[in-house]
Amino acid sequence: MIRVNYFGNIAEAAQSDSETLDLETVSVEELVDLLDAKYGIRKFQFQVAVNRKIIPKQQSLKLTDLDEIALLPPFSGG
Amino acid sequence: MERYQRQTILPGIGTSGQQKLLSSKVLVVGAGGLGCAVLPYLTAAGVGTLGIVDGDQVELSNLHRQVLFSEQSTGEYKVLEAQKALNAQNSAIHVNTYPEFLTENNVDNLIAAYDLVIDATDNTEVRYTLDEGCRKEGKPMIYGSIFRFQGQVSVFNYQGGPSYRSLFPAEEQSLLNCAEAGVLGTTVGMIGMLQSNEALKIILGIGEVLSGKLLIYNMLKNDQQIFELGDPKEQTDQKTTEKVTLVSPEDALKEGTLLLDVRELGEIPVISIESCIHIPLSVLEDNLSELSKAKIITVFCQSGSRAISAAKILKKAGFPEVRAIRGGAPQLSQIEKKVKTHEKSIS
Repeated sequence: MIRVNYFGNIAEAAQSDSETLDLETVSVEELVDLLDAKYGIRKFQFQVAVNRKIIPKQQSLKLTDLDEIALLPPFSGG
Repeated sequence: MERYQRQTILPGIGTSGQQKLLSSKVLVVGAGGLGCAVLPYLTAAGVGTLGIVDGDQVELSNLHRQVLFSEQSTGEYKVLEAQKALNAQNSAIHVNTYPEFLTENNVDNLIAAYDLVIDATDNTEVRYTLDEGCRKEGKPMIYGSIFRFQGQVSVFNYQGGPSYRSLFPAEEQSLLNCAEAGVLGTTVGMIGMLQSNEALKIILGIGEVLSGKLLIYNMLKNDQQIFELGDPKEQTDQKTTEKVTLVSPEDALKEGTLLLDVRELGEIPVISIESCIHIPLSVLEDNLSELSKAKIITVFCQSGSRAISAAKILKKAGFPEVRAIRGGAPQLSQIEKKVKTHEKSIS
């Protein structure tokens, strides 16, 4: 189980602030691909954080059970 | 000093801290919702010199969140109305007004006289320009921005720390236009307050500055999270290896290279130059066989960002000579029209 938190326009695309995905082992890159297939997230500009630390999206880093992922788009209103 | 007594008695401030505030110069770019929250608090705290940049006039639909303005302000320049309110609030500080929009041409002059810059804009293009100017001059830029009920805050270019661009590279900008998303006054108010708080901390040298960190606040849940940014050096290195040469539309046409339009089908204006072929970015990778590696390819889109993405795809696929046009189809179309009129007048 991996927890993914969504922010800004990505939360809107996913129609949720957060969800738990039933995945065994998956890399950051694979997770982004999977979420893109689900919500089309690649059309947004965003960064990925694992346990509150922003890392490159292309990472082959394997995620584990206790990891908390966040997808962070820039905001632009003011 | 009596008016500042309640803040000078705080640990870490004192009269020397108040002196720092009085001698500091802060530029606030944008006098909208964020700016209207930032400005009165810096004024009240006794920041000696404030600059306000904004080319807009007050509109009725601004008043629910831009609390420095009154009903009588509508139609007037925001910077002048803000100056009036701030002068009445604290007559001891100087407020400089710039009733113009920040651009590549005026950014260096605007930030030159200030120690610290607050990004209270509502526009990503301006933010990149401001960020670049601040990075070059080594001036901290306090970023604040909102999306509906959520807000972000960070401090960029602080003591060699990461820039906005290193967090969100411009080349990756969303292809979708950001429609008006709606905003509640308290949301911009709170984010603006966090920005002014960072400004006071930087000036006074107290607390931990939000540099290398991105704070996100969710107003509906009162949930606040702080994310650590990666190493900016790593990301800069990555950027240089992927650099794409940019050319002006004029030069691109003069040189007579193969033009590649990567806009999606149906986007206007249509470009009908002979040496131009059309492959939308979304299907480019599947149609590379239509292009010759022996030719110089010049890519364009509507504004330049998709052209850069496409040029990177081509470079990665082994095309040796690829460039992207700065700007795009609207500029090309104008040049095309001029040439046609010229040809007509000759014949």
